Amino acid sequence: MQVHVSTFWTPKRGSTQQEFEDAIWVGPDGSSDGEIQLETLTVAIADGASESMLAGRWARSLVASFGTTPDASAGTDGFLAAYQTAVMGWDQQLSFYLADRAARGSPLHWYEEPGLGRGASATVATMQLRGAEQDIGARWTASGLGDSCIFQVRDEAIVLSFPIADASEFSYQPPLLCSRGIDQEVVRTHLCLCGGEWVAGDTFYLATDALAAWFLTSVADGRRPWEPLRDLDTVDADSDFPDWVNERRDNHEMSDDDTTLIRIDAIRED
Amino acid sequence: MYSTEISRSSPTCFVFLIDQSASMVDNIGSGEGQRKCDVVADALNRLLSELCIKCAKEEGVRNYFHVAVIGYGATVGPAIIGPLTGRDIVALSEIASSPARLEARLRKVPDGAGGLVDVEVKFPIWVDPLANGGTPMSQALTRAQTVVSAWLTEHPTCFPPVVLNLTDGESTDGDPTAAAAALCRMASTDGDTLLFNLHVSSDASAAVSFPDEADALPSQYAKLLFGMSSPLPERMRTYAQQQGHKVSDRTRGFVFNSDLTSVVQFLDIGTRASDLR
Repeated sequence: MQVHVSTFWTPKRGSTQQEFEDAIWVGPDGSSDGEIQLETLTVAIADGASESMLAGRWARSLVASFGTTPDASAGTDGFLAAYQTAVMGWDQQLSFYLADRAARGSPLHWYEEPGLGRGASATVATMQLRGAEQDIGARWTASGLGDSCIFQVRDEAIVLSFPIADASEFSYQPPLLCSRGIDQEVVRTHLCLCGGEWVAGDTFYLATDALAAWFLTSVADGRRPWEPLRDLDTVDADSDFPDWVNERRDNHEMSDDDTTLIRIDAIRED
Repeated sequence: MYSTEISRSSPTCFVFLIDQSASMVDNIGSGEGQRKCDVVADALNRLLSELCIKCAKEEGVRNYFHVAVIGYGATVGPAIIGPLTGRDIVALSEIASSPARLEARLRKVPDGAGGLVDVEVKFPIWVDPLANGGTPMSQALTRAQTVVSAWLTEHPTCFPPVVLNLTDGESTDGDPTAAAAALCRMASTDGDTLLFNLHVSSDASAAVSFPDEADALPSQYAKLLFGMSSPLPERMRTYAQQQGHKVSDRTRGFVFNSDLTSVVQFLDIGTRASDLR
């Protein structure tokens, strides 16, 4: 299996790069990009909730766990195992954070305590691509909770929109995974699973909510949102990703939110 | 309308008007003998606290909002005490970092075994109870116009300013309706200024939250304040409904002897961290 992976991100206006609260994971080490030749490729994307403390850290913990837990995209058990791993590691992360604050002589303020008590929250979506084997075609599986989305485009048409298919479904209150842990039955209620086939020439786009909502709105309007996304980081690009996103924000086409894209091009071998 | 995203690059402002007149020394009709001045000071401190917590991130409180607190009683003017005394409008991060003091209060929280247990929490104080002089509500609303006007000049495209008036409604400088209407006509490109009223009363009638008609309200003061209050924009109505309030397109931002802290949750600053159910 040979794919080309490109990643793009930009914080919401007024935020620094350190305040960015989306997270991505690509490949075995989490930071693969460019041309990749593997039997399987796992990618994950997460979006920390604005109204939660340490949301960026939690999003990074989630993608690391979902990117390395076997079968996290293949079914409910794998998803729950990945989530549980992240939850179990959170207390240690929180301890490190508090120790660092203490070491820097920066104790918690009164306004931080309620948020830390409530825990951090984020959406997550993950997928695994598997190459063709003997009589079995190339397959993919995906799992997600919340409004981070995966789109599959083939021959200038969208063939998959997961887990949201209509831009009207986006809101300020998506389902979220909390670092305190959530009853497994509740997670099962909101968990979305999907799978299918892919062929050389397909492109997958994993996007956090602002970009995903723009993508689906564009599709509904009869446009081809994958065209500018396909051109990013190529000679055909009109601008780099942050400028391109800012232009859409200026035109009120896209929410001003942390914005992330993973693009996976399945390379034709001809 | 009322759809501009509130962010640090596009903040909005909250103006709190707090009645500090002599009549506020009387007890509220419902509850356990609390003075009205204690109720409104407590409500305001909780509103400011909730705003700070809503905007708190690990590097500090983000300035999605700027805040003015205007007291009206013997005088009309800035009412915050402590390090911010005398300031007209203050960034939320300064509000968060500069309460006059932190009190320890007990809050009941689930004990994990189906019961409740008291835990001590820090409760910041920016305003103390005060009850002195008349109730110059019209003057206060006019003062709010000055603050809002200056804000809108600097931020013409912002989410419209929100003015919260905490009072017993017994204005002594004439009918405040015209001043309220003038305030509500001040607009950004995203809509008119919103005026909400918290009415604390010695009347023992049942508490009312976000009504859609004045007929059932218990007094002329309640009806006057209801009439001055802005209709809730659609998205706010949705949040009010989610909190269990019965709403219609005539629902107004008015509560009678009830809690107005929920208004903070009507404003969107990004993805909410609500519990998954």
